[in-house]
Amino acid sequence: MDFKKFRKKSPWLLHYNTGSCNGCDIEILACLAPKYDLERFGILNRGNPKQSDVLIVTGPVTKRARERLIRLYFEMPEPKVVVAVGACACTGGVFRHMYNVLNGVDKVIPVDVYVPGCAARPEAIIDGVAKALEILEKKKKDFVPPKVCKNVEVKEPINRKFLLEKCLGVKNEG
Amino acid sequence: MGKRITVPFGSQHVALPEPIKFVFQTENEKITSVEVDVGYVHRGIEKACQTKFKYTQVGYVVARVCGLCSISHTLGYVTAVERLMGVEVPKRALYLRLIVSELDRVHSHLLAMGHTAEVAGYENLFMQTFRYRETAMELLELLTGNRVQYDYATIGGVNRDLTPDVAKTLKERLKELKERCLWIKDVFENDFTLKLRWKGVGVVTKEMAKRFNVVGPPARAAGLETDCRAEFNYLPFKELGFKLVVRNGGDIYDRNLVRAYEVINSIEMVENALEGLPEGDVKVAVKGLPDGESFVRVEAPRGELFYYVKGSKKMVLDRVRIRVPTFANIPVMKELFVGMDYADVPATVISFDPCLSCTAR
Repeated sequence: MDFKKFRKKSPWLLHYNTGSCNGCDIEILACLAPKYDLERFGILNRGNPKQSDVLIVTGPVTKRARERLIRLYFEMPEPKVVVAVGACACTGGVFRHMYNVLNGVDKVIPVDVYVPGCAARPEAIIDGVAKALEILEKKKKDFVPPKVCKNVEVKEPINRKFLLEKCLGVKNEG
Repeated sequence: MGKRITVPFGSQHVALPEPIKFVFQTENEKITSVEVDVGYVHRGIEKACQTKFKYTQVGYVVARVCGLCSISHTLGYVTAVERLMGVEVPKRALYLRLIVSELDRVHSHLLAMGHTAEVAGYENLFMQTFRYRETAMELLELLTGNRVQYDYATIGGVNRDLTPDVAKTLKERLKELKERCLWIKDVFENDFTLKLRWKGVGVVTKEMAKRFNVVGPPARAAGLETDCRAEFNYLPFKELGFKLVVRNGGDIYDRNLVRAYEVINSIEMVENALEGLPEGDVKVAVKGLPDGESFVRVEAPRGELFYYVKGSKKMVLDRVRIRVPTFANIPVMKELFVGMDYADVPATVISFDPCLSCTAR
């Protein structure tokens, strides 16, 4: 692998748990700890969406986590990549079709890399993040700054959920 | 009269691996009131256990309630069903279950201690603790075949036997792990700066612990002698040298020390179990269907875990009720925060080692 490419920039992670069992989360922590040491690629875990390039999502997305996940996704600057870690983030896993679960991250936001496993091994997570960085590099090349969004008219008081849905609708129309 | 400021902490925060939300009302850095919201990760596992899964499958589903104490959840459920059906579990299986459950406690406690150190600003100690924790994870992988979700215990025994090679490696590496854990205990006990940061912060008195029904290491740090391993007979702890660790400070420093001593005790128990491992089968065949109701108390790394199971001669159970340790510890946390400096909040929260995916299920 061409590690020089990754050293050009130090990509920052944003990790969000949307209802996982903590198994994948502690494996992500283990990735950042000395044995696996993701930091050698310049990767740091910072909890600020406005400074992050890679969004790591664990868990099958519960109904309450959905809104927060969408908000985090839109707060991240373009270009960005999303990595779904764990069986339940990919398809819902053992929680599939439980009443409060939306069966996977790709039902809510677009996903670039899927990392399977229950719980996903640190090696697999590192591989997934390395793949995500390749995709990020590609996205950077093809990146065209978007047109200015048209103003959404909102009646007072401002309702965040309404705004979000409007924004999503605009995005879907193209 | 100072200026009132509302400080939200969560639901997404660097210090938290999971979503929990605190809303603090502060006045000149002092906290005047708190609101807690824990329901972000509710998935509906209890409901699914009563409708979707057969009673033989539920053990693997409840393991996914929490990744850190997955073996405790499985043990609780499996023991409850075995008591319902009157299954006699082989002694070797009980010993193997004990080994996995204690190694799980080692890695969970080391994680909690490392996290508290990180939040206190001691990143070097965090990294060291995590490096040593990897040894415990490797041993678990060797024994069960997986790093986090073991799926080891099953109704009637365990899924995988211990081979002599693995037993030999385990014994060798446990010595190494014990030395390292002794070093960690030494740092947590004697380091000057850590004492300055942690002594007298977030004190839970014995009366408070009794009144709010605190469980696990926070209760033992406050001087309450409560441990399900001593009180409830589900694994042969007493014959393998279980010692009850109790301290009297009740602050963050003492909570971490209780964890450090328990880690050492757990390693000793695993060594004893490997030494006197009985021969025989690891699994017995189970016949019939569960009928009636039973409850079990299990000591998870975070405290007392309660399982209630009710069946009526059907493949699907009537009721599975789980009461988790973090749920019992949240009221005292709320009481503790009032009057505390905001700067001490992250360390106090993490020192209780909250597990939200357990609490919300």
